[in-house]
Amino acid sequence: MMNSAISLQHINKSFELLRDKHGSLKSAFLSLRRSRPRTILGLQDITLTINKGETVAIIGKNGSGKSTLLRIISRVYRPNSGSVDVNGRMSTMLALAAGFHPELTGRENIYFNGAIMGLSAADMAGNIDRIIDFSELNDFIDAPVKTYSDGMLMRLGFSIAVETDPDILLIDEVLAVGDAEFQEKCYDRIESFKQLGRTIVFVTHDLDSARRVASRAIWINAGKIAADGDTVQVIDQYLASVVHVEHATKEIG
Amino acid sequence: MINELRELYRYRYLLSQLVVRDIKVRYKNSVLGFFWSLANPLLQVATITIVIKYIMGLGVGNYSAYLLAGYLPWMFFQLALLDSSQVVLLHRDLLRKVYFPREVLPISVVGANLVHYMLSLAVFFAYLLFFRLFLHGAPLTAKILLLPVLMALQCALVMGLAFFISCLNVFYEDVKYLLSALLSVFFYLTPVMYPAELVHDKLVHIHPMLYKLYLLLPMNALTDAYRKTLLPSVGSISIRGTEVHTLPLDYGMLAISGVLCLVFAVAGYRFFNARKWVFAERV
Repeated sequence: MMNSAISLQHINKSFELLRDKHGSLKSAFLSLRRSRPRTILGLQDITLTINKGETVAIIGKNGSGKSTLLRIISRVYRPNSGSVDVNGRMSTMLALAAGFHPELTGRENIYFNGAIMGLSAADMAGNIDRIIDFSELNDFIDAPVKTYSDGMLMRLGFSIAVETDPDILLIDEVLAVGDAEFQEKCYDRIESFKQLGRTIVFVTHDLDSARRVASRAIWINAGKIAADGDTVQVIDQYLASVVHVEHATKEIG
Repeated sequence: MINELRELYRYRYLLSQLVVRDIKVRYKNSVLGFFWSLANPLLQVATITIVIKYIMGLGVGNYSAYLLAGYLPWMFFQLALLDSSQVVLLHRDLLRKVYFPREVLPISVVGANLVHYMLSLAVFFAYLLFFRLFLHGAPLTAKILLLPVLMALQCALVMGLAFFISCLNVFYEDVKYLLSALLSVFFYLTPVMYPAELVHDKLVHIHPMLYKLYLLLPMNALTDAYRKTLLPSVGSISIRGTEVHTLPLDYGMLAISGVLCLVFAVAGYRFFNARKWVFAERV
């Protein structure tokens, strides 16, 4: 269907449980004697379609598989089985440390981030002015990024993600961008982004921003879709379950 | 593999950005950045010259030039491989967030070190020219045309090994320790400080094939060829006054060694590609 931006079919993803994250030759030799490594289930049989123009919030507890789902969509993880279909150019909004080199200037980092998203030098030449304007960092753009505050870095990250004009924008838990004024500007920009028929998928714990921005919410629990639909309803269901669990623990305690 | 290469080509701007970033960061904080990076090899070369020429008594026309012609390629080999063992872990934050063809990381490391290598070769040529003008020494001949071929073959070798090392180090963190141990062993097994002719003299008495095998060690045929390309007229070689028979460049062994370099490059790329999508789960 041409209308779908992202389509997942029967996605399964499990991870090998590693005793220490970085293996060593010693542990490799020792594990020759052990039976198969234990696996943990990340996602189980996820099937969903996200249409063009939708803004979807993915919510759930820590460790429920939200971020795994986002990484499956962005092709950072390969599923064990199932298929991922994406229509259009995707870009991921990078969290603080990931995309920036502290010694390089804001401008140099913008070019680098564009390259990471698969853009060309020509694309970036067309985008650079809009990115700098939106970030409001004109005065600092040729200073090394190590001199920036966290707020400035987030502004730069958001500007790059939005102003490179992707068809699909993926955001992993970074909607608290800068001061209240800049946040409003971000919400406005997201709104106009939606008007253009672009798709946004974001993972968040901030249910208020989810309510404000998203038209649809997907609640992931223990690797499965627990609820999918209207944002307000799904969030209510999610909150009800959290409160329910809290009551249960209190009674046991 | 064709599809992988096509995707890699699509990300060529990222590749160039990574190389440029590496070079900028390396030289950024000091105007003398490039010269600092030359200081270490020059100090090494001065020390080795004193030990080998004056203490051990190796007689070669201009030993410093003779040493540099083998030492600069060796530095490229060593630094690129050491960098490649760290490159995936260094970019773990990016790997865990963003899709991009993972092979740009080891390729960029080899690229940045290649740029560095070419800069140091330029300085070496300036040095050679100086000796040619003011002293006796080694003029360049048409043999220099072989230099790009040697560099291409070495790039293939380094690239292939960098694919293996960068990938293996994700799964076994002690690979980098093993690597630096092996590099210091191979520095002595490779004819960098001494002429390959000395090894030939020893081995040929045992069995003629042994010297051929010696040339097949990763950098050996290349180092010998680099030397005979960069310094075509070494003249005589002697050790403690005893003349050593000089050998012409062995094109046959160079060809076999070159084929091995290309095999390494392809095998490394395949090995890396078969595992690269697990990196994000392991770093």
